[in-house]
Amino acid sequence: MWKTILRRLLIMIPQLIILSLLVFLLAKMMPGDPFSGSINPNTDPKQIEALRRAAGLYDPWYVQYFRWVGNLFHGDLGTSYIQHVPVTSLIADRANNTFWLSLLTTILTYSIAIPLGITAGRHQDQWQDTGVQIFNYITLATPGFVFYILGLWLFGFTLGWFPISGSVSANASGFWGVLGSRLYHMIFPAILYALIATTGTVQYLRTGIVDNKVEDYVRTARSKGVPENVVFHKHILRNSLLPIAAFLGNTITGLLSGSMIIESVFSYPGMGKLFLDSISQRDYTTLTALILIFGILTLIGNLLSDIIMSIIDPRIRIQ
Amino acid sequence: MKLAKILGSVGVVSAAALALAACGQSGSSNNQGAKDAKKFPDSTPKKATKQGGTVSVALETDTPFTGIFSDELSTSAIDSSVAAPGEESLFDTDDYYRINNKGAATMKLDRKAKTVTITVKKGVKWSDGKQVNAKDLEYPYEILANKKTQAQRYDSTLESIQGMKEYHEGKAKTISGIEMPDGENGRTIVIHYKQMRPGMYFSGNGYFWESAAPYHYLKNIPFNKLQSCDQIRKKPLYFGPFKLDKLVRGQSVTWVPNKYYWRGKPKLNKVVIQVVNPNSASQAIKSHKFDITGVINSQWDQVKNTKGVNWVAQVPLAYSYVGFKMGKWDAKTGKNVMDKNSKVANKSLRQAIGYAMNIDAVNKRYTQGLSFRVNTLIPSGFGAYHDSSIKGYNYNLKKANQLLDKAGYKKKGKWRVQPNGKPLVLHFATMSGSPNAEAITQNYLQQWHKIGLNVKLTGGRLMEFNSFYDKVQHDSKDIDFFQAGWNLASEPSQGSMYGETSPMNYERFVTPENNKLLAEMDSEKSFNTKYRVKVFHQWQKYMYDEAFVIPTSNSYSINAVNNKITGYSTKPSQNNNGHQLWYQVGYAK
Repeated sequence: MWKTILRRLLIMIPQLIILSLLVFLLAKMMPGDPFSGSINPNTDPKQIEALRRAAGLYDPWYVQYFRWVGNLFHGDLGTSYIQHVPVTSLIADRANNTFWLSLLTTILTYSIAIPLGITAGRHQDQWQDTGVQIFNYITLATPGFVFYILGLWLFGFTLGWFPISGSVSANASGFWGVLGSRLYHMIFPAILYALIATTGTVQYLRTGIVDNKVEDYVRTARSKGVPENVVFHKHILRNSLLPIAAFLGNTITGLLSGSMIIESVFSYPGMGKLFLDSISQRDYTTLTALILIFGILTLIGNLLSDIIMSIIDPRIRIQ
Repeated sequence: MKLAKILGSVGVVSAAALALAACGQSGSSNNQGAKDAKKFPDSTPKKATKQGGTVSVALETDTPFTGIFSDELSTSAIDSSVAAPGEESLFDTDDYYRINNKGAATMKLDRKAKTVTITVKKGVKWSDGKQVNAKDLEYPYEILANKKTQAQRYDSTLESIQGMKEYHEGKAKTISGIEMPDGENGRTIVIHYKQMRPGMYFSGNGYFWESAAPYHYLKNIPFNKLQSCDQIRKKPLYFGPFKLDKLVRGQSVTWVPNKYYWRGKPKLNKVVIQVVNPNSASQAIKSHKFDITGVINSQWDQVKNTKGVNWVAQVPLAYSYVGFKMGKWDAKTGKNVMDKNSKVANKSLRQAIGYAMNIDAVNKRYTQGLSFRVNTLIPSGFGAYHDSSIKGYNYNLKKANQLLDKAGYKKKGKWRVQPNGKPLVLHFATMSGSPNAEAITQNYLQQWHKIGLNVKLTGGRLMEFNSFYDKVQHDSKDIDFFQAGWNLASEPSQGSMYGETSPMNYERFVTPENNKLLAEMDSEKSFNTKYRVKVFHQWQKYMYDEAFVIPTSNSYSINAVNNKITGYSTKPSQNNNGHQLWYQVGYAK
């Protein structure tokens, strides 16, 4: 087990090197640079050129790349071209926002999806199942951005129940005031996001239950006279949760990557929004740092998933 | 004028940037712009104002604001809007951006001695109660010119100050051309110039800086840390009507009155500025979420019937235009070089392209009448400098065809060919972004096809902002002509935009005549306003005739203002360097 983990961690090193090279080159290949938006009748293009040169944008790519990697090893992700603060502080700020929103979303997603999946699986082909399936098809077919904007329009603007943008109100003060305001700003995007993020979980769970119900070991358990409740919870449900557990690693690391769509619609300053903005503004330092972080998170997420799987399912334990 | 500067390359159509824009208003008579401006009032109705209340302002932007609270270091119009209630510049202007003595400081030109003397009024105090002094007037120049600050806004215009270049290059420890006759604690600085320019009478001229920086507050911060230090990012010090009370990074700011404000106590207790996604702007207006919200012009139909608001508008100093690529930028010599063999070198061809565009119909159909055709490169907001006699390229297919026939662009089958018989394919570049961009572009293409010109889109589709300017700035071969926009500074001089040595002369148009006229605008003789106006008119006629840049449209910048609010205005004389005079804004009794 430990060997596996160690091996996986070692493989991550070349993966990360290739990733960093790709990320860096692709970012540089985008047309324009962080200064292209600043040229106008009253900024002097000569000054902009001087700043470009000072930032090293005219050095050969490998010089720029190794300078960047060198700084990475010192824990220095650079300074944002647009925000003019260290990228680490910028990302820390946003990661904090994203983490709490994602955590809330994940909790809500599971607390909606798991009961629904169980209900549907348990009452296969009955009205409960049909209801859940209809709900599921609707959420599957609804594009996120349409759903969010509709929600924003209805509950944010028309009814005025929830704030329409940001992560905290300008008027909030004091510890509890700020905490309350933050929650108030998160709860609505989290509910909307959770509502349509349930599809996969519901479906996996339902299918798992339906499949497992007719397995031999379930029949054996029943014929032994095991009470139906125990059969369901111990034999059927536990096995049906496996596919969901398979994604758990990525779900955990995904708490930090955020969602571009929901964060954009709600102008919620999180990681996804930062990522989008850094692309459109050509904020190289932020952009490369973010992709690298997302890459690392995905690799770790996969590793975590595998570890979790091998803990709960002895069959796939690798030697 | 700061706001104007930053929007430039984003183009006139940039919706987000229109929020809070408050720096221009046509006031001149008998011309198109002024007539249209009357479609909307430029101020809220005058009413007696009561003390107190909170005004919330929507700031429409896709991205969180940067929040650099320093006029010298900030680089975005959004930041400027965020800082508006606190940040006041030194000078007030009349309605044509000419500096007057009503602001926090006075300015005196001495043409013989080649000096500008700036004196800040007694009682103009930072929000910590300290008088603004001579060092505070001088310090911005150090911030701008010192390379360590990485200030984007340093420019070669400032180098007309003696000793500026030497300081910028690190050869001198101080700027020799800035003198403090009464010492650092006095209230006066005298700036010595290599040459005096008529533009110096205008705000936004770039020859001297129009803000002060609190030296006593910033002096211990090294220049390379200035951009990220708390004194500028979190707790700025200003001498404007309000001081910063609370900041949520990138999202909102709360301003409360500065009790030392020199013009007197502000009417409001609080101004809150909050970021809103531009897509939500129309809903924000309809649901009265904010007291002041910028209208995104493409959403006008959805909001125009909203009750309880006043529509306060201005015609910004801006235009969109079609430009023709006539040459290349030579980086070695730092000059634009015309290419006689450019596909669009023929004047008749350019004029025909202009005549074929149905701008009025496009504006009517796609902009709900909020955009209107402009005929010349000097907007009507500049008063007398604007030449209203220029007819512009009114839609006229017959004339377009005639011009092409005469110039030898004969029809061969469906398309016209070059006078030398070779086929003619023109590539037109334009930006995506506004919701109607695609439809408008297709309309233009259709029009050009009608006169037999085979015009294709560069790359086959609309371009994203960065790609577009990357190609335009590097004189890409794939572009024969293009559509873009400029927002202008409030000093009308054109040399920095269309001059031989200006990289922003994207058309690369250079002629002796143009050089001469541009130089005349800033000449000694042009200190005589009548003469200067004459030169501007000549230049506009010349530009109209040469048609290497054809101005197309300008649009209103409209704000939805809660109808209980009074004292809000977009007139230049009621603003201060593009900022609302916030101390007079309040609720009606």
